[in-house]
Amino acid sequence: MEILKISLAFFKIGIVAFGGGWSVVGLIKQEIVPNWMSADAFSSLIAIAQSTPGPIALNAATLVGWQKAGFLGALAATFSVIAFPLLAMSITMAFSKYIPLKKDLADESLRSGSMAMIIMTLWTLLPQNTLPGPWIFALASFGVTAFTKVNGVWVILGAGAINMLLGVLP
Amino acid sequence: MKIPSKGKGPNKTIKKTEPTPLRIFLTLAQINTLTLGGGYVIVPVIGNSFQKQGWIDEEEFYRIFSRAQVFPGPVALSTSFLCSYRIAGVKGAIAAVLGVVLPPFIALILVGGFISLYGDSELFKRFLNGAGAVVPGLVGSMLWKTAKNRKWTARVFIEVGILAILLILFPSAAFFILIGGIVALYLGRLLWKS
Repeated sequence: MEILKISLAFFKIGIVAFGGGWSVVGLIKQEIVPNWMSADAFSSLIAIAQSTPGPIALNAATLVGWQKAGFLGALAATFSVIAFPLLAMSITMAFSKYIPLKKDLADESLRSGSMAMIIMTLWTLLPQNTLPGPWIFALASFGVTAFTKVNGVWVILGAGAINMLLGVLP
Repeated sequence: MKIPSKGKGPNKTIKKTEPTPLRIFLTLAQINTLTLGGGYVIVPVIGNSFQKQGWIDEEEFYRIFSRAQVFPGPVALSTSFLCSYRIAGVKGAIAAVLGVVLPPFIALILVGGFISLYGDSELFKRFLNGAGAVVPGLVGSMLWKTAKNRKWTARVFIEVGILAILLILFPSAAFFILIGGIVALYLGRLLWKS
């Protein structure tokens, strides 16, 4: 039953997973926290999903499934989250000749939707308190990744290493 | 066909091979095992590799990529899927899905075992807390980059603003707000051209 619930949740996430990794992280969080997992556990899980190879949404699905129902849970979550995108692409390719969509308008609408999702994700991920530590880590990482060409992976690994040495975060 | 060579190394010749499903799988599996970072890091690597093997030219690859972004799901997956379908049909597309999905899956199963073994260690917890603390910053920079590349008309501003507020106020209805919102925006753009 647990596996069926996981499949259903991730199939649903796959349907609205527009706009790349981070907006999908917000959707997954919406489904998972706090029913299945605490907010802190979810944050660490996302950090792992980001510092391992592969698309972050897929990795997050695999990890949540693994935590909840072992190997079969991981398998079910991973394939459920890509089921709808694959289906949508297959159907679109088969019928693309007959769809009278104005591509540029559809594209602009999708981009607005995807940006709104990223904003919502950011909102839910902001530190929940006014302790300076988490805000300093968040703002510093924003500065580095927004204004330099440094890969986000190094920022994640670096922040992990810094906190491992200094233990400044609770 | 013109393939731009990017300076480094004089003998970057194109070794043209047949795009069999097995070769597509191996190419994508290798890239997805070695490349850290999100879709926008992986996609250019896939493009280079496909071009080097003479499977597709750059312009066609990025045309397919822009279409792939319209579909839900990881953009590395959709780009690989659509490109491989183009060059090798249904079998190619299936090979692409396996090539993108299997390597990280296997890696994470191994990491998952590692976490349940070492999850209680104090140092490991500290590491994860530090790594987790930068996630909001990374999402913020993603937002910054997307916003920077967009043409901010009043219309776009209102569209994004209303949708974002609705999503924040009614998170449990995110699914319907997003689908309904995108359809509404499309119809709005169709009816009232700005």
